[in-house]
Amino acid sequence: MVAFVEVTPETICRQRGTGKTTEIEILPDLMELAQQTCGELPMVIHGVELSIGSAHGWNDAYLRMLDRFQQAWPFVWHSEHLGFQTISGDEGATLQVGVPLPMPPTKEAASLVASRSDAIQRRYGVPFLLENPAHYFSDLPTDPEIEDDIGLLHSITKGSSCQLLLDLHNLYCNAVNHKFDPFKAIDRMPLDQVIEIHVAGGSWRDGFWMDAHDGRVPEQVWEMLDYVLPKVPQVAGVVFELLEEHAVNLGPEAIAEELKQAWKIWNVHRAA
Amino acid sequence: MALIEFQTGLGRLLREQRSSDPLHGINLDANEKQYFETLQDTAGFRFCAGIQRSWCVGRAAKSAHFTLSLMPDQERQALLDEWVDSGAGTSSFFDAEGESFLSFISNRLTDPSHELSVCHFEQATLRASNGASSYASPDLSALANVDSKLRRGRHAALVRLYLDPSLLIESMQTRKPLPPLSSEALVLMFSPGLPQLCNMPSEEEIAVWEALDAPASVGTLLSLNISPETLAPLLEQGTIEYAD
Repeated sequence: MVAFVEVTPETICRQRGTGKTTEIEILPDLMELAQQTCGELPMVIHGVELSIGSAHGWNDAYLRMLDRFQQAWPFVWHSEHLGFQTISGDEGATLQVGVPLPMPPTKEAASLVASRSDAIQRRYGVPFLLENPAHYFSDLPTDPEIEDDIGLLHSITKGSSCQLLLDLHNLYCNAVNHKFDPFKAIDRMPLDQVIEIHVAGGSWRDGFWMDAHDGRVPEQVWEMLDYVLPKVPQVAGVVFELLEEHAVNLGPEAIAEELKQAWKIWNVHRAA
Repeated sequence: MALIEFQTGLGRLLREQRSSDPLHGINLDANEKQYFETLQDTAGFRFCAGIQRSWCVGRAAKSAHFTLSLMPDQERQALLDEWVDSGAGTSSFFDAEGESFLSFISNRLTDPSHELSVCHFEQATLRASNGASSYASPDLSALANVDSKLRRGRHAALVRLYLDPSLLIESMQTRKPLPPLSSEALVLMFSPGLPQLCNMPSEEEIAVWEALDAPASVGTLLSLNISPETLAPLLEQGTIEYAD
């Protein structure tokens, strides 16, 4: 039922120090446990701490950790979230915002992320994918040439070797919260660059559908998967995301059902 | 608006939600200032601000779970609010801030008290486990030199509990009131080189710890009738370390 695993390396790491002396240290016992659990399955990386879009600089400590991680456990590809979560503080300090935030659809943002994506691709020698984020802001600064979130993805992928992790639940969140048609949005995506797809569940909070990874995949997200799979010639896998603390509540049977549903749709379109 | 100004502005608005002037010092023209003013009134911004706040509080609460669980709700929330208002709780590596948060809490607790003991217990566990992953025992040969200086290990701690630990845990789980402090303390020693990070020290080991309130030479410790046989395992497991 599981063809490959996706690892978020930060979950088996600890941060040491602060500011410019920060290091992210891989915990050997957790690394060993993760490797034992995954066995011989192919593994891909899905990072959360890079902050690839931070104008003041990305997270060097994360990349140093990933260098060591790759030596210990090579990965097939590497993905990150398109966004930023750090800003500059006094005297060059880096401040965490505490939540991931979206990039504005501007030329400057596209250019910054494209050049950094190329640098990452060169550094690791495996495909680098960016994930379209869920966000709750309806009015971000925009350049007319870029227009919106999807225009930003086009601009980044055209301007770099970067490819895409299409998170269907993130797209669904944005469609629900910003009131647009997710199927039309899919049609506007750079689908020829999609290598991986995420599906997940969410929940309502304060009038917004939140990308909470706390339950089963909404029916419309399955419909989106069914819709998009014939249109993504390079896609190599689908991942069901669920936060650890919610896995217990959902239970193994429900998780297995979600995986079976993903396989069912995958096999309809990709079995050949 | 330049990307850095946008990110700094948005980031500050979220990090400094209770500040009177979170945009101070950012190079914004009138239109850009108006953008941020309008943004703050949108439902999406308010939602994101609420998520940011709850995640920061949640991270801090995780790093001091046991200590906070012994506190009345109002006191607990006030401590978390004060901590998050200072800009803390933003790192997803919440352990990295855990020791600082526990220090912050410990300064507000009665000494002695069960709450302070549990706070020290959590601090000690965190400190020892932070040290354990990279811990290597030092060369013990310098113990033979009476001039060698020793100090308490940077990842070690001594904790006194004034109640049977099982009763403390029961109180955390049931939120029953804690009994009065016992006259006799259960002493636990935390060291990064111990397999379980913690043990019950002998009287002589406690004496070493107390004597090293400030760094001292091996000769000074020996003059206090502490034997070299006591010092060696303490040094090996990181309870004490060379001060040089």
